[in-house]
Amino acid sequence: MIRAPLVKALGALGSPTHQIASRAVRTSAIVAQTPAKAPDTIEVFVDDIPVQVLPGTTVLQAAAQIGVEIPRFCYHERLAVAGNCRMCLVEVEKSPKPVAACAMPVMKGWRIKTNSEMTRKAREGVMEFLLMNHPLDCPICDQGGECDLQDQAMAFGSDRSRFTDINYTGKRAVEDKDIGPLVKTIMTRCIHCTRCIRFASEIAGVDDLGTTGRGNDMQIGTYVEKLFLTELSGNVIDLCPVGALTNKPYSFVARPWEIRKVSSIDVLDAVGSNIVISTRTNEVLRILPRENEDVNEEWLADKSRFACDGLKRQRLVAPMVRMPNGELQAVEWESALIAVAKALQKANGQIAGVAGQLADVEAMVALKDLINRLEGETLVTEQDFIKGSGTDVRANYLLNSNIAGLEEADAVLLVGTNPRYEAPLVNTRLRKAYVHNELQIASIGPKIDLSYSHDNLGSDASLIKDVCSGSHAFSKVLEGAKKPAIIIGADILERSDGAAIHATIAEYCEKLKKPDWNPFNVLQNNAAQVGAYDVGYQPGLQRINQAQPKVLVLLNADAGKLTREQLPKDCFVVYIGSHGDNGASIADAVLPGAAYTEKQATYVNTEGRAQQTLPGVSPPGMAREDWKILRALSEVTGTPLGYDTLDELRTRLEDIAPHLTRLGKLEKASFNELSPKTATSKSISGGAIDVKQKELREYFMTDAISRASPTMAKCISAVNKQQRQDEAKQSVAI
Amino acid sequence: MAGREAIKRAVQQVRPILSVDREEARKRALNLYKAWYRQIPYIVMDYDIPMSVEQCRAKLREEFVKQRHVTDIRVIDMLVIKGQMELKESVEIWKQKGHIMRYWKESQDPKPTDFLSKFIQGV
Amino acid sequence: MTKYLGINRLSKLFQIIQEAGGLKQTYLKLYRNDDLKIGTLVGIDKYGNKYFENPYYFYGRNRWIEFPQHVGMDYDGSQIPAEWYGWMHYKTDLPPTRDGCRPKYKWIADHSENLSGTKESYMPYSTTPPKVEAWDPKAKK
Repeated sequence: MIRAPLVKALGALGSPTHQIASRAVRTSAIVAQTPAKAPDTIEVFVDDIPVQVLPGTTVLQAAAQIGVEIPRFCYHERLAVAGNCRMCLVEVEKSPKPVAACAMPVMKGWRIKTNSEMTRKAREGVMEFLLMNHPLDCPICDQGGECDLQDQAMAFGSDRSRFTDINYTGKRAVEDKDIGPLVKTIMTRCIHCTRCIRFASEIAGVDDLGTTGRGNDMQIGTYVEKLFLTELSGNVIDLCPVGALTNKPYSFVARPWEIRKVSSIDVLDAVGSNIVISTRTNEVLRILPRENEDVNEEWLADKSRFACDGLKRQRLVAPMVRMPNGELQAVEWESALIAVAKALQKANGQIAGVAGQLADVEAMVALKDLINRLEGETLVTEQDFIKGSGTDVRANYLLNSNIAGLEEADAVLLVGTNPRYEAPLVNTRLRKAYVHNELQIASIGPKIDLSYSHDNLGSDASLIKDVCSGSHAFSKVLEGAKKPAIIIGADILERSDGAAIHATIAEYCEKLKKPDWNPFNVLQNNAAQVGAYDVGYQPGLQRINQAQPKVLVLLNADAGKLTREQLPKDCFVVYIGSHGDNGASIADAVLPGAAYTEKQATYVNTEGRAQQTLPGVSPPGMAREDWKILRALSEVTGTPLGYDTLDELRTRLEDIAPHLTRLGKLEKASFNELSPKTATSKSISGGAIDVKQKELREYFMTDAISRASPTMAKCISAVNKQQRQDEAKQSVAI
Repeated sequence: MAGREAIKRAVQQVRPILSVDREEARKRALNLYKAWYRQIPYIVMDYDIPMSVEQCRAKLREEFVKQRHVTDIRVIDMLVIKGQMELKESVEIWKQKGHIMRYWKESQDPKPTDFLSKFIQGV
Repeated sequence: MTKYLGINRLSKLFQIIQEAGGLKQTYLKLYRNDDLKIGTLVGIDKYGNKYFENPYYFYGRNRWIEFPQHVGMDYDGSQIPAEWYGWMHYKTDLPPTRDGCRPKYKWIADHSENLSGTKESYMPYSTTPPKVEAWDPKAKK
């Protein structure tokens, strides 16, 4: 099975295990890593500076080791080497021709000259050829200001043009392609670096993009007219060194030098991707990925990248209270707080709180403290988990193998999860392991497309028992693996036999456990989930039904799982959140909170890494940061919480769970914690296992922000349209 | 060597701005106070401000008392110089009515200090 | 001779008083218009404004208007309708009553005075969409 055609084609350089060995050097598909026991390095000279490198290192990497950057267009650390842009040509002494630094492994004693006359001339020539067929539309190009071609033309190009052909329209022009609502193409600008093609086939796993034609007639495209639809399509925008692929919703919006950048965290899935929020005049314009080797590498899923226009729609900008006529009416903060406080005081401790998908840890702690002070006990998350005391042990709900760790796995079983849509960047890790590490993957659940081939064992829940008892064929694979992993989707643990599934797998994982490797993984799909369990929230809304509260506080709870009918008639529902969605529409009082781009707040991702968002813009209108609302509310009820500032609240957080303030650090669950004894019954009731997000269209709208986003709506209709076209074509073919 | 350096540092006099000792600084401050005190009736008249001479003198006292805690001679000197500048600007009518009235901060709302009022005002 | 003695001015004053209809009316007119002039009534428009002309006065002061009594002291130059505007400002010597070739269309809107400072005054408003769209609880999904 050839999993990585390009890598294998250049097989002389790569070995299947190369990417494990070193994470210090940002290796990608191509750096050959010899095993650690043979560190015989060779010496080369870059601009007469001696460098010790491992054999198989390319000229470009050797130069990078001493900080000499060689210009490049097609080369990218995380993609296979193509070597077709020729920008990285450098002179090597005694070589008659300049060599392409990105593809040429160094030989012993080579003297590489990155700034010689020959090198400069070669670069200038390449640049001249590139610019000959590149339009001069930088003033109207969205890449202008952050364009590799622009920068490198300034640095390495000629200072004058020999292109005199202004009357004869001999400049190459290519028709633009429609590849979807997210990526805008201006194909005339394309310099054929093929980064997008390599990304699509290597990382995203969809071989949709490719080239047609040769030489001057070469074109990048989708062969037949279709949409480039994958959950990672936005990354080709970042990869494109020129303005051929640009961000469609962001087109003609801003220039990079007008923008303020804020480093933050994405909360639309549980991965906690690191992002950069680009803002101008108090408006979020776009979201870009930020490099974090341990979480998202340098990729970002489409929902996280493009749902940011949902932050400007359906917002709650003023507190609202339901009037006697049954309508929500905007009021001042004073009256809203007093109305809620009265209800809280009257409730006599019959108060419950529900934390939703996007709730931050600070607000959850403030809500917990508030409700506890008013002698309420019921604090739950919207997402359910196994019954009993499952959340007491941290290993029970974490992705214990870590996101980066999954790269090293060699056998993975997915149970009732579709990582491709629930956590696209976990899926890229699995795919990376699949391509480079001969990872064997099997899934229990519906047949889904994971962008790599895997064994679908079936969808019946009894299969779990088969695998875990060791009688199934895949059990042998798992047991024989060096680093096996079982990933359970958070949604199947909501089932009535969820506890049994959890316990069965946990027990089996005890057996599979290796020193330094915990195979038990739960893949959460809400950013708030792990944080909520960490600060002591209980899973599941059944507790609300049991408690029959007089006052219910919804903290960003928008999943729509809770309806008015389930609550007592006289229950006063308070909603705190940023968007008018399911939660706000059933509420009696709506207190407008801040979205994740508007507050400094902590979120814990699915592997247990606490990270914080930073505010890029201020909350709209009268909206306030969520924890401040709760703090103010506590003062009006006469039980003021003991923190006035975020720092004081963080101190409180540290008292509850110290890892919550160790931002950016991974806090693993301790090894022996994993306890299969949590289950009360161990019978898996059988029945088909299902996942919520099976197809791409189900991926785009999963929370209040993405539901409010017009771009996400466009994506769904584009996917539907594509499917209708495909069906029509098939019926014609039949 | 290092010890000598340290001693040198310790006994080293800071370069004075104007006054060489506390008494001189005190005199300067008092002189400034007197100059303002005598000028106030003219300021009230020239600028036609809706304040009485007594109110202005109370304000003058308040402004001086505000800096009572300052002990550093150089800081005192600097404050005196700035006060002198202010006085000069007032005397020469380089200021306007509003600049004089700014001492009373009539148009400024005091900033909220407790959490709830800060929350409601959104600061 | 009378000119030198200023008797002609006196007789003019009497004439004005007579025209105005007595001393009290003269006083009221002076109070309201800050001016006392006599002239020939050129025309009355549909709003009750009276237009006078007297070439005895210097150019620029020889055409004037008396606003109707009911507007009281709230008279304003913008109460002069468009058709009289030209005559008042010496754009034409033909008042609309004698000018036959003024266009008359059904669609010509009625004159309205400048409403600045009143409740009906024009208030500019932003036509750009707001940066953040607020949630409307009444809007059905």
